[in-house]
Parts: sequence; C-alpha cells; structure tokens
Amino acid sequence: MLPLDDVRIIDLTQDTIGPFCTRVLADYGADVIKIEPPGGDPARLLPPFPRDEPHPERSGTFLALNTGKRSVVLDLAHERGRALALALVRGAHVVVESFAPGARDALGLGYAALRAENPRIVLTSISHFGQDGPYRDWLGTDLTLYGMGGPMIAQGDPSREPLKTAGRAPGYQVGYAAALATAMGVLAAERRGSGEHLDVSAFEVLAHSIDSRLGRILGYQYNGRVVGRTGGGLGVGSGTYPCSDGFALITSGPARLPLTIRMIGREDLLDDPLWATTEARAHPDRIEEFEAYLLPWTLERTKEEVRAACQRFGVLGGPLNTTADLFVDRNFVAREFFQTIDHPETGPLTYAGYAARFHTEPPQPPRRRAPLLGEHTADVLRGELALGRDELEQLQASNVVQLLEVSDAGAR
Amino acid sequence: MPGPADDPRLPLSGVRIIDLTVVWAGPYATMHLADWGAEVIRVESLQHFASFTRGTVARPSQALVDAGANTGMGFPQDRAGEHPWNRAAVFNHHARNKRSMTVDLTRPEGQAVFERLVACSDGMIENNLPPHIDELDLGWERLSRINPRFVLLRIPGFGIDGPYRDYRTFGNHMEGIAGHPAIRAYPELGLDYAPTSVPSDAASGVGSALALTLALRQRDRSGKGVYVELATAENYVPFLGEFVLDYSMNGRVWQQMGNDHWWLAPHNAYPCHGTDRWVTIACRDEREWAALCAAMGREELRDDPRFTDMASRHAQRRALDAEIAAWTRPRDAGWVAQRLQAAGVPAGMVLHESELLRDPHMAARGYFQPVAHPEAGTHLQVGRLWRAGETPHPPPRHAPLLGEDNEYVYRELLGYSAEEYRELAAAGHIGTEYEPSVQ
Repeated sequence: MLPLDDVRIIDLTQDTIGPFCTRVLADYGADVIKIEPPGGDPARLLPPFPRDEPHPERSGTFLALNTGKRSVVLDLAHERGRALALALVRGAHVVVESFAPGARDALGLGYAALRAENPRIVLTSISHFGQDGPYRDWLGTDLTLYGMGGPMIAQGDPSREPLKTAGRAPGYQVGYAAALATAMGVLAAERRGSGEHLDVSAFEVLAHSIDSRLGRILGYQYNGRVVGRTGGGLGVGSGTYPCSDGFALITSGPARLPLTIRMIGREDLLDDPLWATTEARAHPDRIEEFEAYLLPWTLERTKEEVRAACQRFGVLGGPLNTTADLFVDRNFVAREFFQTIDHPETGPLTYAGYAARFHTEPPQPPRRRAPLLGEHTADVLRGELALGRDELEQLQASNVVQLLEVSDAGAR
Repeated sequence: MPGPADDPRLPLSGVRIIDLTVVWAGPYATMHLADWGAEVIRVESLQHFASFTRGTVARPSQALVDAGANTGMGFPQDRAGEHPWNRAAVFNHHARNKRSMTVDLTRPEGQAVFERLVACSDGMIENNLPPHIDELDLGWERLSRINPRFVLLRIPGFGIDGPYRDYRTFGNHMEGIAGHPAIRAYPELGLDYAPTSVPSDAASGVGSALALTLALRQRDRSGKGVYVELATAENYVPFLGEFVLDYSMNGRVWQQMGNDHWWLAPHNAYPCHGTDRWVTIACRDEREWAALCAAMGREELRDDPRFTDMASRHAQRRALDAEIAAWTRPRDAGWVAQRLQAAGVPAGMVLHESELLRDPHMAARGYFQPVAHPEAGTHLQVGRLWRAGETPHPPPRHAPLLGEDNEYVYRELLGYSAEEYRELAAAGHIGTEYEPSVQ
C-alpha cells in the first residue's frame, strides 16, 4: 500500500516545475495521467541526451521528471480534446496545471468548468507570480524568480554578483511545495466532501524559504540590519576550505570554535584571552586570523580525512562532492539510494532515488520508467472512458487536426 | 485555551503532532503542519539549549549580539532582553502557530510524561542526530508500542542506518555531500567561494511536511501506524535529477556554473544603480533576445558576429554580460525589470528583505500579515506557502514563549493534577526559563 495509490491526478503541466510536483505524487503511489499536446511535452527536447543526440524519448530531464506517470496525448486546443480531458476529470481527484494565469480559463478548463464536472476535484495551479496581482503576467525563470523571492542577494561573494542555487533547484522547490499543497488539498477535500482551487506562486514559495528569508524578513524588521553577501556567513572558522584532493566545508562560529581548535591541535589558543570566550571569538578580526590556522591544516589532508576528523571532534564539516562522487559515496551506496531504471529507448540508467522511505510492508516498489509519448492514450481512453475501438480509430484518424495521437507503443 | 489554528475546516485540524525538531529543516516542516491546522507541540527542555533553534546560545552577551554572530537572525532593537530565547527572529517566524511545553527527557519522570503525550498524539517529527534519539529510546519500536496508530517521521541528515548515520551535519554540509555547492559556485573562482546557504533546509521542510501528511493518510486508510524516514541528503539529490542522468548517460561531470545556464545566454545577475543593486535577465529564445536588444537600444548587437545565435551567445557569454551590464549599471533595477518584462523578456529585481516587505505585488496579494508577539512586538510575517480557495486563512498566533503551553499540555491534555504539576515544576521539568547553568 502506498499513501496515494487510490488517487488519480490529471496532469496538465509541462516543462519542469509542474512535472516535478506530479513526479513526487507518483512516487507516493498516485495514478498520474500526463496529458501531453501532440508532439509532446516540450521538456522531451531538453538536454541531456545520450551522446548528446536529441531524441524526444531520451531527454534526461524529461525521464527524471516523469517516472511513474502514464502519457495520454490530447489536443486541448481542439474541442473534442477538451471534452475528453473533462471526461477524465470526472474520475479523478486532482488536476495540476501550470498554464499562464488566464490561459486555463480561456481553454475552458477553469476551476468552475472542472468543478461542474466533478465537485470534489482539487485544482492545483502553479504559476510564477500567482493567479492575481500586478506581476501576474510577468515571465519567470529559475534565475529571475529566485532573485526576487529567494535569498539570492545574500548568496555569494560581496565583491561579485549574487548567486542562484544549482541547476533548476529553485523551480523544483516550487514543484515540491505544489505537491505538499496538493496532498493537503486532497485531505481537506476528503473531509469537506468538496474540492478547492489551490494557488501556488513561485515568487511566494521562494520568499517563504527557511533558507535565511524567514529569519531575515523578521530580523530586518527587528533591527534594520541589511545583510548582504558575507562570504563565510556563519562566522569564524566557517567556509569552504581547499584540501589535498578537493574541497571541504566546515562550520564553526564563535560558540563551537573550541571544537575546531581542538581538531587542528591548537588547544593552546584557548588560554589566550583573544580566543578564550565566545565573545572574544565573535570579534570580526578573529575570522581572518583563524583562517591562517585552519587553512594549512585542511590543505595537508584529503577531504575524507577532514570528514573523519570533523566527526571525531564533533565539528560540523564534510566534503564537497562532485556529481561523479555521488555514485561512489559510501552512504548512498550502502543505503542503495540510486535506482537503475530500464527504458526501451535508453537502456538502463541510474536515477536519483526516493526522497522518503516508508518502512511498511510490502516495501515501496522501484519507480516505473517515464512513459513514451502517448503510450497510454488507448489504455486510458478505452479503460477509463470506455471508448470503443471505432471511436478510438475515428479520433486517431482525425490526427490531421492533431486531436489525438496514439504512438506505436500505445497501439501495441 | 483555543488552539493556534483550531478551525475544523483546515486540512490537519484535529491532528496532534509532537515536535522534537531543531535548527531549521525540521521546524520548517512543522511550520507547514501548524499553518494548516495541526496542533504542533514543541517538546523543549529547561536543561538543554538546542543551538541555532531559539538562537545560538541561551544567554548571548551584548558583545555577541553586536557582532551579529547570532544565526537566530537578530533580536528586536539588537537587544537580547531578559528571555533571549523568546526574541530570536528565525524562531519567531517558523514557530508561529505551534505550542511549547518543557520536560527533561533524560529523567524517568520526564519519560513518563512523554509516554502520556505519545499515547494521545497522532505522530511525531524529529531531526536530531540518530544516537541522541537512541539514548532517549525514542525510536519506532517503543513509540509504536505505546501507540499502535502512531506516525513517526524521522529526518536524519544521512539516514537512520548507513555509514554516516552518526555524522553531525547542517544543511550546507549535507548539500556538499549531495553535490550542490560544487555546481553552484562561481565558474571562474575556486570552490572556496561556494556560498554556504541552505536551500536544502527549505526542501527538507517541505518534503518532510509532505511525507508526514501522507503518512497520516496512510494511517487512516490502513488503521496501522506508519514509520517514515526522510534523509535530507537523499531528499536533495533529486533536485539535481538531470545532472545525475547526464552522468549516467554520458559520464559528464558539470563544474561550477554560478548563474550560467547549460545553454541559454544571457543568463545572469547584472549590476544596477545604487549599492548592491542587481537585476537578473534570462533570454530563452531569439524573440526574447531581439526584445532585449530593442529595449536596450542596442539593435546592432543582433548583427554582432559574436552573438548571432544562442550557441555563440553562450560561448561568448562574458562578453555579452559586459554589454548588458553597461546598459544596466546606471539604471534602477526596478525600472530595468519593469521595462524588460513589458518587452517580454524574463527579468527581475534581486530583492533584499526590505524591498520584499514593501513589494507592490506582495502587498496586492496580501502576502505579509502582522503578528503580535508578547516579547518581541508586532511585525509582518509571510503568509502560508500557498492559497487555498475554500480554506479559511486565520491570522497566525505568535511563536510560543518557552513553556508557554505547559499548563494546557500537562493539565488539560495529559490530565496531571495541580499537585503533580507543582511537583514536576519543582523538579525542573516545567518552567519558562532555562536553568542558569545552560549556555
């Protein structure tokens, strides 16, 4: 049993943020029916590809974001396509969409239309700035949204430009928030007996981050301090330090610095009034001075040796892994975190594993690979909507208007 | 006393969660649970100050406060006050709507109190170092024996088992192991310039709130307790899903990228008029590039041989950045963002908290709401993580003072008599101030 294995989700999202949301919900057992336009989700054309050769069934971005889903190709620009989508909504619990605000209503798939089909439906709308407000129609990307909502102004070196987080992490955080919203929306709908419309704004999700934003929003009102980019950030003995074979991250700060002082064998410092108390160690001049003690120590050691020493002395610290290091990291290996998933177009590939482990019997099954384009169109329309073979063939024949696409795989 | 968000129309109303979380990731998970109606009871101790939760140390000196060396993110008027633990900014934000009780779990009578609490609660969240939970015997075996319908979510850094189970970690160290900073740092500088913030704590908080919400549903469907584990490192690797696939497909290891995109350019933060003012700009196609050139009054850049298509612009992205920065530098960031958005180019101000708090879009959506705190004053707080059309949005209750809900928890919930309550208080379990010896 999985927590959402009785929940069906109609997924109208494309690209990366919405699909991250529904991938997470599929991880928890939801039956996610991904509605793709003729030609497919544009994310099918996003790199990486094996040998860097683009192919709509081999996009690493798409494959990672769409495991466990079923693919149905419907042209929502066509009246019959919309009617079929609405018919699917009747048997579903949730619709997730990420159209530009306004476009959904214009398509005839607004909340009122969905609710008319199914009063229990939960509609999760994911957008860059929310469904209303002066920036509603502004364009957003991971970079621009993180700059506005997230703590970007405080990330990086004071003499350089502010930095965003890695890759698509800002957008995935928004997708994750939308998954939480959807889960709570399902619970609320079950209690109330009716659904509701959830408005997830990327700007607001990123402004809501515990990663400094929450503290500094209140902190600024408390004392007017403007915190910019401060490098180490957490004070004396904190930062990224070069080792003999890479880099390690160490966090000390005035209160915990004695642990670090002992780790590098400089207990003698603790007898010096400059280093003896937390207050003394909080003096800004100590930061540079301590670098001179800590740097030679890390440079003489491998990142693994630094990690071991940190753990022995109770210091917060560890290596900076590259992507390649992830696959051989002892902990990920021992816990069998990564999953190998086979796929007819790529062969077996290694994917990131589940975020959470439910210690239940039977255990969580491995993920199912991402669907081929339209792989489940026939299954879903026949199985869920009881369309007959003739009707299906008719729909398929009107492919000229790209009403419906049944791929070879789906027709088999 | 009515609960913080005690409204039956909230999705988690009627659910009681024991909160043994510390620092940021765990408390951020329970923030969402409390925001959406769960009764979240923080179990705290007068004998132990969990550093970085209600501030860095229990009683910081003024010198420490003035040095700004307090990752509690500061105190009102830069004064720690008589009860610094009730005045730390980050705690007062994430702990809203929660309750606080005190008990010393290292003593048998404290454990007896805790057993009663487990028996009448739906679940518990903790994100402590696994050996600490072992020492206190607060694992699944015992809790599920006390309450067979209990839901337990543990949020270790690296796992309840595995070689790193005992590793002490903050979000940034865990991120280092999960591969993020190695990609995030400035492209031309060493990894020693990697920023040390913790976006993963936000991911862990949201992921944990999700896991617990779904575990509750699983419990209701199966009638049986549920034990869930979310290792924060495993939660954050999927945020690099395409990097993992690229390595698996092509053996490619991406070095530091900073603000660079894999293939888009321009894609960076550009300096604007004023001190530390920046605007981000990203062009995703030829149309947006043409619109940017037009907005800058630099149409000739479209014919510049260095910038003829996306691939060449990407290859020459530093030269391109210099051209764009020359245009943005004398201009106001808000003006640049507005103008580019009007032209159909994704752009945005890099906002400081002071600007976010008075941002007109946030104001129009009513995102910030005032919350009055008895020892810190009235200040604006963020709204809930999303808006729900049919769910009431009651104003949040202030973050609990240390031990503020002791009377409710011990007397009302756990049924201790007035005399027992006095005895537990005399024994140092119940109170509102850390013991003087606590650092």
